[in-house]
Amino acid sequence: MSARVFSAAAVTIAVAALASLPLWSSSPYLFELGITAAVFTVLSTGLNLVYGYTGLLSFAQVAFFGIGGYTAALLAVNEGLSVFAGALAGGGLAILLGLVIGYTSLRLSRHAFAIVSLSFALLCLILSRDWVSLTRGPMGVHGLLAPVLTLPGLGKLRFDRPPEFYELMLVYALVVLALVHRLVRSRLGRAFVAIKLNQPLAESQGIDPLRYRLLAIAVSAFTSGVAGGLYVFHLTIVDPSIFDFYYTETMLIMVIVGGPGSFWGVVAASLAFSAIPDLLRFTTDLRMVLYGAVLIVAMLVLPGGFGGLAASRRRAAAKPA
Amino acid sequence: MTGPLFEVRGLGKHYFGVTAVAELSFAVPEGEIVGLIGPNGSGKSTTIDCVSGFQPADSGRWFLAGAELTGRKPHTHAAAGLVRTFQTVRAYDRLSLADNLAVAAQAHDGVGWWAALRASPALRRAERATAERAGELLEIVGLAEYAEAPAAILSYGQRKLLAIAAAMMTRPRLVVLDEPVAGVNPTMIRRIEAAIRRLNADGAALLIVEHNVGFIMNLCGSVIVLEQGRKIAEGPPGLIREDRRVLAAYLGAEAEPAADG
Repeated sequence: MSARVFSAAAVTIAVAALASLPLWSSSPYLFELGITAAVFTVLSTGLNLVYGYTGLLSFAQVAFFGIGGYTAALLAVNEGLSVFAGALAGGGLAILLGLVIGYTSLRLSRHAFAIVSLSFALLCLILSRDWVSLTRGPMGVHGLLAPVLTLPGLGKLRFDRPPEFYELMLVYALVVLALVHRLVRSRLGRAFVAIKLNQPLAESQGIDPLRYRLLAIAVSAFTSGVAGGLYVFHLTIVDPSIFDFYYTETMLIMVIVGGPGSFWGVVAASLAFSAIPDLLRFTTDLRMVLYGAVLIVAMLVLPGGFGGLAASRRRAAAKPA
Repeated sequence: MTGPLFEVRGLGKHYFGVTAVAELSFAVPEGEIVGLIGPNGSGKSTTIDCVSGFQPADSGRWFLAGAELTGRKPHTHAAAGLVRTFQTVRAYDRLSLADNLAVAAQAHDGVGWWAALRASPALRRAERATAERAGELLEIVGLAEYAEAPAAILSYGQRKLLAIAAAMMTRPRLVVLDEPVAGVNPTMIRRIEAAIRRLNADGAALLIVEHNVGFIMNLCGSVIVLEQGRKIAEGPPGLIREDRRVLAAYLGAEAEPAADG
């Protein structure tokens, strides 16, 4: 009980501190970092849902992110649709494609899913570069205007400067975290874990792994797609680099170091590893090499990730001397 | 009710030209405990893997309470009321015993995803009933003191008891047990037997595959004997014990009355 009160208080304080950042800092650098961290927290939490909870290694998360980005950008530029409607449409398209690759490959095996998701991500990259009439090719879609939200009674909220966009992404990330937290702490999350721990046993008890895994894929596709749909309006451009393997690699590192299946472990790792590349910026050439080194050390020292460490501490504390 | 609870007709399965099961037909009547025995490689495991949906059969059909389950997936079998355990005992090692049982029950209480997500009153009622039932079952199988401990800490025999309790949580009509007492000490065998009788008293029929002949003879109302994928005898334990083909094929000297457990 007191542990619950404690964690509720900790979350409240953290949220208040993050939300009030524009009040006590005017550093554009911090806001950029905050926006990156919010995006990566959403992406890695989505990957954690699919990989950490249901045991499906997915390389398609970056594809959902990019599909959301392209959909929102093209709908805004070609059709004049609002950013938010476009981002939701991007999330919807990501769900649809996620269900297609999930349904077709999971009928074979979860290894087939890993391979199909990887191929799907590469296909998206190729299409974004070569389907010039739709995507405008390597040049990308540029000149994207910052979102404006008209609230009844409050007038217009503009998100064109880093502090405002930071608040937008913070709110979005918090909504996603609350949603996924609810999902994984519900008995649906318990079924995810059961499927990952022992699929034949879960099947013998009437749990259909395919349905649960498709649910996890759909949720993560949507949250990643909407994140992409919003983020490109901060970048003001979307080009094929949004499908870059760098995003996949970073998400995987965050989930593995955070501890697959550990909700808060992955959130913590997302925040830490969003900051590390910037901290390593002094050496552009070795940046990703050092990043890889950090990952290897983390896997050697913390095989279960942050989450695994916390769990073993809890076990040790629960065990009577 | 017309016909038996569970009926298998003409089951056949081959691996690379080797016949594992051929033309096997049998039935499990409502409320009965039926044993399935035979020497190693006689097709027992293949039979239950097929009729629980874990392996595709080459031929044959099977029905639970008149509804055909041929070719359906494992979870569909479970939803219809046919649940199985595994020879290599399975459990969700990282989950507590209480959660192991809750997972087993959750596909069977009619509470949908949306209700589960928004923690509806129906969900809370269902989960409370599940927790109560899990508590009772852990009491029955003698694992109540470990309710909150992860399943990984259990001994081999305790895991078998947990598997039976989990099967009971699914509100089964037929439970298929794959070697419930193999490799288990005599005290634990008695506890497992008590759990099986309790499961049967609660209304479930059972199909039990086991090498421990004394255990089967003692527990089952009728016994089916397989040899090389074919049924060579079927009947009450008293008659099976006397059957010459069974004696020759499987029981050997062990079949003498002294082997009764």
